[in-house]
Amino acid sequence: MGKLQSDFRRELAARGVSRREFMGFCSAMAVAFGLPKGATAMIAEAIENNPKPTLVWLNYQDCAGNTESFLRASKPTAAEVILDLISIDYHEVIMAAAGHQAEANLRAVVENQKGKYIAVVEGSIPTGANGAYCTVGGRAAIDIAREVCGNAAATIAAGTCATFGGIPAASPNPTGALGVGDAVPGIKKLINLSACPMNAQNMTATLVYYLTYGDWPALDKLNRPLFAYGKSIHDACERRSHYNSGQFVEQWGDEAHREGQCLYKMGCKGPVTFQNCPNVGWNDNTSWPIACGHGCIGCAEPDFWDKMTPFYAHIPGFPGFGKGSNIDKVGFWATIGVTTAFAGHTLVHLGKKRMQSGKDTPADPNVNPKGGEA
Amino acid sequence: MSPPSTSVAEGARPPHHAELERVYVWDLVVRLSHWIIMLSLLLLAVTGIYIGKPFYIPRGPEAEQLVMTNMRIVHFYAAIIFTLTVLVRVAWMFVGSHYARWDQFFPIGARRRRDVFRMLKFYTFLSSKPPMNVGHNPLAGLTYIAVFGLYFVMILTGLALYSVNAGLEYGGYMREIGGWFLPLFGGPQTARWIHHIAMWFLLGFFAHHIWSAMLVSRVEGMGLIDSMFSGYKWLPKGWRKRDE
Repeated sequence: MGKLQSDFRRELAARGVSRREFMGFCSAMAVAFGLPKGATAMIAEAIENNPKPTLVWLNYQDCAGNTESFLRASKPTAAEVILDLISIDYHEVIMAAAGHQAEANLRAVVENQKGKYIAVVEGSIPTGANGAYCTVGGRAAIDIAREVCGNAAATIAAGTCATFGGIPAASPNPTGALGVGDAVPGIKKLINLSACPMNAQNMTATLVYYLTYGDWPALDKLNRPLFAYGKSIHDACERRSHYNSGQFVEQWGDEAHREGQCLYKMGCKGPVTFQNCPNVGWNDNTSWPIACGHGCIGCAEPDFWDKMTPFYAHIPGFPGFGKGSNIDKVGFWATIGVTTAFAGHTLVHLGKKRMQSGKDTPADPNVNPKGGEA
Repeated sequence: MSPPSTSVAEGARPPHHAELERVYVWDLVVRLSHWIIMLSLLLLAVTGIYIGKPFYIPRGPEAEQLVMTNMRIVHFYAAIIFTLTVLVRVAWMFVGSHYARWDQFFPIGARRRRDVFRMLKFYTFLSSKPPMNVGHNPLAGLTYIAVFGLYFVMILTGLALYSVNAGLEYGGYMREIGGWFLPLFGGPQTARWIHHIAMWFLLGFFAHHIWSAMLVSRVEGMGLIDSMFSGYKWLPKGWRKRDE
């Protein structure tokens, strides 16, 4: 085909990525979307020929972990080539330009490619103190986000901070941090890629989907792509059979832990967390938390720092009984207490009765002698 | 409202010489729902405690053990039976027989309001004779309102927790319904906490209910526990019209 294709092939060859490896990547993407085998060729063709969109990446309140996740593949892969071919015109962490020059780049994209570029937001947006907690080039994060996201074809919120506010928004939320969807309502197309950090694989897949179809993947209620967030971690977990059989880790390092049994009793949040970690894994599918023997902490869910804690137990403690307290222990002893109290009550009752027996007790003065409604 | 009988004095245990008659108090739906709720609640408590704190039960070949799965299945089916029975019982409060109706649970009228305190006095040994009532005593009625409240807390938190991993049958309606409740309870962990504490309240009520039923049945001498099976209480003649 045209020049572009040969450019792309040359690029692949220069990176040491074989055609076979590239096709493997395309079929992996097809599988991720749940598409049939024939879709692989379609995806490959689309990646080779379709014009590459411009992307601007805004960094706000977070640890830049999503950038790390996005940029650091352990070896040059086909995915990395794809990401390189997307024109990243503004990214505070990696761009060469600085100062006014950098801000001019961002302005140029917003003005010249209105409604065509993709905005990626990383980190939560503070709304407290008129946005003074986070400013870039003298402008409040929320102002920039309103302008850049408002003019974008689509906004991708990368990571839990950008989607739901994440750790900056955890109680007591001193900066009034919000996720992009809440801070800038009415964005044209918002795609949330939650998790801490977001899985680079899901970002790549979302972009490949867009390159292939010119449209965005189907989303769930929280605006997360269904192909990545449609199933709970629990349902795809490699340790699920141990859960079903009732085989659980009771203590870190015990026999069951060494055998890789279910981490449910160690507070694993897999049953209430939706992500494709068990399938795609992390770091080129080297491993993922549960495979390492640590329970899921639910980082892909809203307010996980507040609502999923304690991470190593299933239910919050009992207020007033300390952090390690357990509602079931309190409840058990309370129930025993009630039972004992009533046993005691009966004993008192019988004792009183014995004392009274023989005596002809007078009519109870509390009782209305006339009967009926008084 | 017929004029109340003045021939029988109120107070615990009708005198031996009083003529007793068998009065039909609890209709079939009341009795059936009572026992179905009790049985399903016990089943839910046992399986629920296991699900909350599971342990390995070696049984048969390892590949065929599905202890947790089976406990969950029993829990979910018992929950369906429980929910439907509670709903039927609540509906019956509006269409059922006299002593099954909702107004029997509320202390309506001065005498029933006074009986709440008389019953409290009896329980705290300030009085030796409980007030006599044909249906629920007014304090028990109030307690049952709280218990039905707990039932609904259990049903709603249970639905919310179930919805997280509910199947997608019929358009995933279970995820929709329960998912609507989930934020109201502050997410799955808090919902689970409420689910647990409400269970302990119900188990505490369970202990209380058995003791007080035995006690009151003995003191009243109207065959209270029998009446939960047969539907009939033994009352002095003329009493049946007392609460009508």
